[in-house]
Amino acid sequence: MHSIKSRKRVRLSFTYLLLGVVSLSIFYPLAWTIGASFNRGNSLVSTTLIPNNPTLDHYRALTKAGGTFYYFQWFLNSLKISLFTMILSVVLVSLTAYAFSRFRFVGRKNGLTLFLLLQMIPQFSALIALFVMAQMLNLVNSHFLLILIYVGGQIPMNTYLMKGYLDSIPRSLDESALIDGASNTRIFLQILMPLAKPMLAVVAMNGFTGPLGDFALSSVILRDPKAYTLPIGLYNLISDKMGASYTTFAAGAILISIPVALVFILLQKNFVTGLTEGGTKG
Amino acid sequence: MSNTEQQGHSHARIAAIMSIIPGLGQFYNRQIIKGIIFLSVAAIYLRGFANLFNMGFWGLFTLGTEVPRDNSIFLLAEGLIALLVLAIGLLFYYLNLRDAYKNGEEIDYGLKTSSFGGSVKNMFSTSYPYLLIGPGFLLLIFSVIFPILFSFALAFTNYNLYHTAPAHLANWVGLDTFKQIFTVDIWRSTFFDVLGWTVIWTLVASTLSIALGIFLAIVVHQKDLKLKKFWRTVLILPWAVPGFVTILIFAGMFNDSFGAINNVLLHAIGIKAIPWMTNAAWTKVALLFMQSWLGFPYIFVVTTGVLQSIPEDLYEAALMDGATAWEKFRSITLPFILTQMAPIIITQYTFNFNNFNIIYLFNNGGPAVPNSTAGGTDILVSWIYKLTMQSNQYALAAALTILLSFFVILIAVLQFRRTKAFKEE
Amino acid sequence: MKSKLVKYLTVAGAAALFMGLAGCGPSSSSSSTTSSTKKSSTLLVWEDKDKAAGIKDAAAAFGKKNNIKVKIVEKTYADQLKELRLDGPAGTGPDVITIPGDQIGTAVTEGLLKELKVSQSTKNLYTKSAMNSQIVKGKVYGLPKAVETTVLFYNKKMVSDAELPKTTEEWYEFSKKQRANGKYGLLALWDQIYYAQGVFSGYGGYIFGKDSKGNFNAKDIGLNNSGSVEAADYVSKFYKDGLFPKGILGDKGINVLDSLFTEGKAAAVISGPWNFDPYKKAGIDYGVVELPNLANGKHMGSFIGVKSYNVSSYSKNADLAEKFVKYISDTKNSKVRYEKTKEVPAIKSLADSDLVKKDVDASAVAQQSLHAELTPNITEMDQVWTPINNALQVIDTGKSTSKKALDNAVSQINSAIKASDSK
Repeated sequence: MHSIKSRKRVRLSFTYLLLGVVSLSIFYPLAWTIGASFNRGNSLVSTTLIPNNPTLDHYRALTKAGGTFYYFQWFLNSLKISLFTMILSVVLVSLTAYAFSRFRFVGRKNGLTLFLLLQMIPQFSALIALFVMAQMLNLVNSHFLLILIYVGGQIPMNTYLMKGYLDSIPRSLDESALIDGASNTRIFLQILMPLAKPMLAVVAMNGFTGPLGDFALSSVILRDPKAYTLPIGLYNLISDKMGASYTTFAAGAILISIPVALVFILLQKNFVTGLTEGGTKG
Repeated sequence: MSNTEQQGHSHARIAAIMSIIPGLGQFYNRQIIKGIIFLSVAAIYLRGFANLFNMGFWGLFTLGTEVPRDNSIFLLAEGLIALLVLAIGLLFYYLNLRDAYKNGEEIDYGLKTSSFGGSVKNMFSTSYPYLLIGPGFLLLIFSVIFPILFSFALAFTNYNLYHTAPAHLANWVGLDTFKQIFTVDIWRSTFFDVLGWTVIWTLVASTLSIALGIFLAIVVHQKDLKLKKFWRTVLILPWAVPGFVTILIFAGMFNDSFGAINNVLLHAIGIKAIPWMTNAAWTKVALLFMQSWLGFPYIFVVTTGVLQSIPEDLYEAALMDGATAWEKFRSITLPFILTQMAPIIITQYTFNFNNFNIIYLFNNGGPAVPNSTAGGTDILVSWIYKLTMQSNQYALAAALTILLSFFVILIAVLQFRRTKAFKEE
Repeated sequence: MKSKLVKYLTVAGAAALFMGLAGCGPSSSSSSTTSSTKKSSTLLVWEDKDKAAGIKDAAAAFGKKNNIKVKIVEKTYADQLKELRLDGPAGTGPDVITIPGDQIGTAVTEGLLKELKVSQSTKNLYTKSAMNSQIVKGKVYGLPKAVETTVLFYNKKMVSDAELPKTTEEWYEFSKKQRANGKYGLLALWDQIYYAQGVFSGYGGYIFGKDSKGNFNAKDIGLNNSGSVEAADYVSKFYKDGLFPKGILGDKGINVLDSLFTEGKAAAVISGPWNFDPYKKAGIDYGVVELPNLANGKHMGSFIGVKSYNVSSYSKNADLAEKFVKYISDTKNSKVRYEKTKEVPAIKSLADSDLVKKDVDASAVAQQSLHAELTPNITEMDQVWTPINNALQVIDTGKSTSKKALDNAVSQINSAIKASDSK
């Protein structure tokens, strides 16, 4: 009895120690970024975790729009693009996945294979094509086009994920609803979608973060500094041969990270608890 | 017997043959409204796209004949769009023929063809799944399939700095570019170096983040652990901060001479500065570390969900058998997780195979290494990007895209067809 | 049976459609895919970063006179050509761009620049080498805006004028002493050929040889001759002995180098006139001198970079754009620009005037220019940068011997040139 208790204590202390170390490795870079944003100077050369002589200059620099720098405009652009990409991907992905999961039709298998292959060939290996397309449609600088391209890119992988999840929901559920006279559309909206909430959250997050992580594709479509998204703008901020500012970048990075992280933490509940609602609680 | 069969299909055949001009077969089947719709769709299609076909196919064959009037790349794009539109047209044409034949058959069997309202209803129910897929698929055609086709086509041209608009045209050169990759020593060796590292990177980086994610999920899942919510929130943070931000921050922290890792962390425990950015092997270590850091939260979150859905009775049975914790994990928890998460795990691998951001943003694919035209940590996609955007070697980049796709398809055919998502009952 | 008939008919239909419609091509040359000739009401000028102030007033005056709006957008001049490739065909491109002289050859090969009609008297306004950088196969494609070459900046607080080292050897010793105090002596981006060329030329290395007429000969690459190997060895010494930090290697090195200097951690750096203003703004009391002598007694060389105004061939207002280029590069406007931006003008009479000569910074540039040579402006130059910079980095980090790395780079350059030429 005693040995079980002490073993438990050892196990738990190891656990806390481990989690402590992991948390440190998570917090350190984040803290360092915060520190950098308050440091004087432009480079990381003399950057320290706790600035000797903190300054708000870099945050002030962000508010100064002009020339090729429009931080808050980029911020809004990015939020807009991410939001629409997220909404559209969720809608299109769940429709497509529903069809693949619940219907048997000519071309289904080929369609699935095609989706599988497409998710593995990166969209931006075809940058020139996307640029040519933007020009032919006269949609250079168009956020609308960029959103469509992002959504298109999201479809194959997420459909694949969503279909797998829908497959795991017993068909007996929709069959009994069908007998009760529910239409396909109603089964989809009222039975399957609520059950698929955890995967919907994943698809939504993929849709939201995808555009926030891309600068290669967007910098080909968006040519006007005012139309840039944050990734392009922030990347330029540290890759410019002249006038690069690592510290201003850090300040800009923090301002975008806070809202995104908040959305994540709010959505987190759906990832985790959603699955347990299936009935088998552990 | 054969006579009656001939007899029995005569309407169907005549209707189908008449529908060579869309709509006529439907008229023959006495489905006037449908016939009118088919006929007018065909007419609008032909009229609307005649010019696209004309220019498109001409451009596709010649890639232009006159500078500065023609721009090969635009002609190529138009040609491919014409092909796609043609494919959609043919699909319609096929449906038209089939419809004529089928309805003809019904007449042959002495049934009445359905009224217009009836066929609309009928169509709606049989095409319901297509309606669901339609919008997504259409978007996919133009935002993914078209660009990839374009890239593929580009590989068979000589499009590079010396063959660009407005001064020059590109030409079709067949397999020359591929020949170059495999016959010129420096290209061949670079290609295989990059491919090798791409494979290692994909396997190691993905496996590390998957293992770490699952491990931490199990650790946090322990019943007697306190502050579960807090730990989960902390562990999700690396995913919550936009990836490109973190990578660029890390790039600063790993700086050989001024980064915090060398100057603060390693310094504190008395380890000499490590050449993270200038030695390819160390850069690779740093990249693997970072990708584990960035990648594990996603797996962690999903695993946490899966863990909560493992039926408790499974464990209870095991407890009766006197299984140790490790045995329980190996025979119950892990198999359960792996089967539940198979698609997500697979997407981790495909994601890292194409993980351009981390490679490019961290050290631009560098550092430079001897005997290579790519950087020491370049993977295929980042190399392709650099060839396109920095060296203007468009055709070469496109040829590499084909090779990359070929490689991916090979793996997919070998592996993924076996997974659950593909099994049909 | 059923499906067969339907399939045959589909194929037949496809064939008919294809035959009927395909392949006639454009009915006349007028169905142009490139830009129309519609005039635009603004003239878009891409100026270098932070330099718009130098031409703002002149541009406004030009606009007023010609009844057109002149819009100035600042973009890093080295990247403008890359952006023109994307923006030009899109119809959102500029009319006038500012690019480095070594990109002229590439730009002309691609047809991105419009030929300008420039009289002999206009040509004579500019220094010969600057003007030559704008000429490809006898045709003029732009007018020089400024000339720059690398010079040595030193922090007066860290090294006084009197004790300023005169040779790279002295700098080497000086740097060693600084390192002992945890600071840096002289820093330079010698992992990039643009900077390392100064050492290379002093030892007899070169990028492209010249034929009897003085044209660059792409078949004669001197980056792996004995002089180049010696130079690379010499350069790498600074890295291996810890005088240059590894942190200034690679793409982002330039930012680190600038910060080390502006934060008073490095006594001297080799950089260009583009930093006159930023360093001043950073509050550094610096001096500028020509580059030092090398260990073999030869003066360090450097590249002359010419910045120019050029007209995009996509311009819908090409005539006016050409007029603007001539106007903004004339003597009067060049002088104003010099006063505002401190970029050394390429106009002969200005370079010789007291205005420039009395300026310490500018005269250091002029001094160094005597030992400098033009960056090759032939298209093949495009294939040189990446392989040779990679080689230098490999040498400086001690991953390969100089000879081997340079041989390798040259064979890469050769094969890249051959590959692009053959087709």
